[in-house]
Amino acid sequence: MLLSPGVVGELQRILGAGGLILSPEGRLVYECDMHTFYKGAPDAVALPERAEQVVEIVRLCRRERLPIVPRGSGTGLIGGVAAPSGGVMVGLNRMTRVLDVDLPNRCATVQPGLINLWLTKAVQDRGWFFAPDPSSQMVSSIGGNVSTNAGGPHCLKYGITTNHVLGLEVVTGTGELVRLGGKVADRPGYDLTGATVGSEGTFGLVTAVTVRLTHAAQAVKTILASFTAIEDASEAVSAIIASGIIPAALEMLDELMIRAINEGTGAGYPKDAAAVLLIELDGPAAEVDAQGERAALFCWERGALEVRVARDDAERALLWKGRKEAAGAVGRLAPAYLLQDAVVPRSKLPAIMRELVLIGARHRVQIANVFHAGDGNLHPLILYDDRNPDELERAKAANEELLRACIAMGGTVTGEHGVGLDKAKNLPLQYADADLNFMFRLRRVFDPDGIMNPGKLLPTHPACGEGFRPERPRLPEGAWI
Amino acid sequence: MPVAARSIVSALRGMLGGERVRDDEAARAAAALDGLAPRWVVRPAALAQVRDVLGLAHDAGLAVIPRGSGSSLELGHPPARMDVLLDLSGLDRIVEYNPDDLTITVEAGATVGALTARLAARRQILPLDPPGALTRTLGGVAATNASGPLRARYGTMRDLVLGVRFVQADGVLTWGGARVVKSVSGYDVPKLMVGSLGTLGVLGELTLRLYPLPDAEATWLVSCRDAAAAQELVLRILDSTIQPGRVELLNGAALAACGAVESAAAVAVSIATVEAAVRAQGEALDALARAVGAAARPGGEDFWTRYGAATEGGRGTTLLVATLASKLAETVAEIERSGPAMIAGCGALGSLRVSLPSRDPAHVKAVVERLRARLAPDGGSVVVQRAPRDVRVAVDPWGPIAPGAFALMQALRDEFDPARVLNPGRFVGGL
Repeated sequence: MLLSPGVVGELQRILGAGGLILSPEGRLVYECDMHTFYKGAPDAVALPERAEQVVEIVRLCRRERLPIVPRGSGTGLIGGVAAPSGGVMVGLNRMTRVLDVDLPNRCATVQPGLINLWLTKAVQDRGWFFAPDPSSQMVSSIGGNVSTNAGGPHCLKYGITTNHVLGLEVVTGTGELVRLGGKVADRPGYDLTGATVGSEGTFGLVTAVTVRLTHAAQAVKTILASFTAIEDASEAVSAIIASGIIPAALEMLDELMIRAINEGTGAGYPKDAAAVLLIELDGPAAEVDAQGERAALFCWERGALEVRVARDDAERALLWKGRKEAAGAVGRLAPAYLLQDAVVPRSKLPAIMRELVLIGARHRVQIANVFHAGDGNLHPLILYDDRNPDELERAKAANEELLRACIAMGGTVTGEHGVGLDKAKNLPLQYADADLNFMFRLRRVFDPDGIMNPGKLLPTHPACGEGFRPERPRLPEGAWI
Repeated sequence: MPVAARSIVSALRGMLGGERVRDDEAARAAAALDGLAPRWVVRPAALAQVRDVLGLAHDAGLAVIPRGSGSSLELGHPPARMDVLLDLSGLDRIVEYNPDDLTITVEAGATVGALTARLAARRQILPLDPPGALTRTLGGVAATNASGPLRARYGTMRDLVLGVRFVQADGVLTWGGARVVKSVSGYDVPKLMVGSLGTLGVLGELTLRLYPLPDAEATWLVSCRDAAAAQELVLRILDSTIQPGRVELLNGAALAACGAVESAAAVAVSIATVEAAVRAQGEALDALARAVGAAARPGGEDFWTRYGAATEGGRGTTLLVATLASKLAETVAEIERSGPAMIAGCGALGSLRVSLPSRDPAHVKAVVERLRARLAPDGGSVVVQRAPRDVRVAVDPWGPIAPGAFALMQALRDEFDPARVLNPGRFVGGL
């Protein structure tokens, strides 16, 4: 798809000098997110600074039936910002202002391009933070977090992005600027804010976000426990949760991952550890102390090799160091990897770990694991050599099988990364035609012409194109008509 | 095409069995709502029967009013039509309880009380405590997004529901969400269904997130000289490291109804965690109370039972007033200016339940409209939760919705229930 000179002229008028990228090399930068399998450069990249410009762009694109691909920082992992069918990409990373901070009412309103961590930096000296903490929080935008309903290690206790979004300003697929929700809770009417969070840009473009801020806890305790078997670590997790403790974070690393990390910067995990459990508790000091002791005891009871408790912030950072470097560390094991994001019920962790070993063996690939054990959110990294096409195919096959295994155990195809282009095809594993049909129609309400981020989030039905015709009940014949 | 009533009743009986379909005068009168009696009262025993009933209602052009325990039937506009009263209390099974995963899947007609009893054996809780919760159904609590004091810590149904199974207006059985505690696959359909008053589908099954029962809990009551001091205390608690379970603000009338020592206003706080931390936070709370010229006194073990009974609402009019935490005092003052009112609600979130003794349409209308005008600049709202029909005719029970958002709501309703089978006329804007 190429833009007509008329459309280009209108975009230039809307965006002004420097607000529009048209050159091939300029557009190439925008061809993908962190999932580099999915590529497609847009025909133009618009960089608006005001909501009114966004409205004009959407109205223009609607008139011209041009696809719109919203983009924040481009740190997504699902191909959500690739533009395989061209069109206009709307990069929101010039809209980075904090519009309002209202600490008495525990909220802030920000523009979508604001970097997640910047919001916390703006309020932390007064004792507050923005709770959703995806690993990308140093670079990912709040608009992007809203789009994918991003999670993070600490969402076990604090919830994911949607639990912290009070209101949105959205330009829908019809070019209407609407305000949904707001600072005050309990709005009458449908929860359009809740429905829009996680819609991956298919409802419209978010131009402002009102978020809940969270008060920093009095105390934090970080504990690292290592085990000789992943089953033991999983049992420790179960014991901790069953005892009534809700840790702020509960992260696990498996044997292969531990080896990769130890070979690198050296987080100093015990050599014969097959599982490392990172437990973080926060809250009132007395609570953290009591629960910390209890959690450590559970680890010892399950045969922990060692249990380390950080004594200060520096030690705490050290315990987290390995976890944070996990994705980078696997680079020592293989040139490339597929990162998966699936969920199983937490009690199925030992079972899925055994299954992963079998899947890896069947497809002759190595699978390293780092995961949010507290909520059963797995992040297996399927290692392969990208110079070997056969190995990539095997990695992909293992990837698909792994998803199916998670669904078979009652899980879900994505816990926090989102669907995007990557997993649209996987949704039918989890949803019946009627469920997908409902979602299609929901999307149509916000974007009747299908211009917003087409091809993302929902699959295309192989037979009837869009729609997924649901089955209606069969009524007794001739009863009343 | 005109529909013959006899054939509909035989179709319904064919689907549900004779005893589950009533069309006798007594049953119809007992199910009347706002002076409108249904033609049939049906009580399905399974979700498949709900599906069949809605399929029939859709094709025959009937209006269906779903009902759980019947506690919120005076919420919203009077229905425009009512042919079938769909009593969901027969769908009360616990489908799957996974204590190790802290999740449970239940049918929508199960009551909060039944669930609570089941969870107690495993020392787990569903932290939902709207007034009268124990006898209310989970489907009803979800459809109305009813909440209580525990929302200060745990949120509302919106935050606790993971998955929903529902029947669309045309009888299509649909699932949204997940059965695990974390999922972002597809749109967040459960959020859309919570608080939609059954207008997008009849809730049949819910998968819910559970919490462990804390080791210990204590409650304090802080009597304050006025609502301004009470607000100040609420804000200080929020800006502290105390992690309370409940932070309720009460006016003098609400305090009296709880049988507590009388004062102009008070804040009731509960803290639940390990014993030592309950004690330590209680001391921290007392320090904050002293800073506003008050003191934290033990509220007593049965305080929340008394509080629940007092706030359930009497024979008058119940309003749900949503304001900012920083405007609690002026909102309370505005309400009290218009006459006697019992005010109690979540101070942390500015969500106040107001019971007016009045059932007079003109008076309630004046109170509600003045309050709405006052709260509008902050995006606050006033919803008439319970009132006689006359009141809900005189004053829009939901209040105005911003035009842009309303256009989307209307489009949603038109997409999923264009024939207005479900709860016609009751929801916002008469949708």
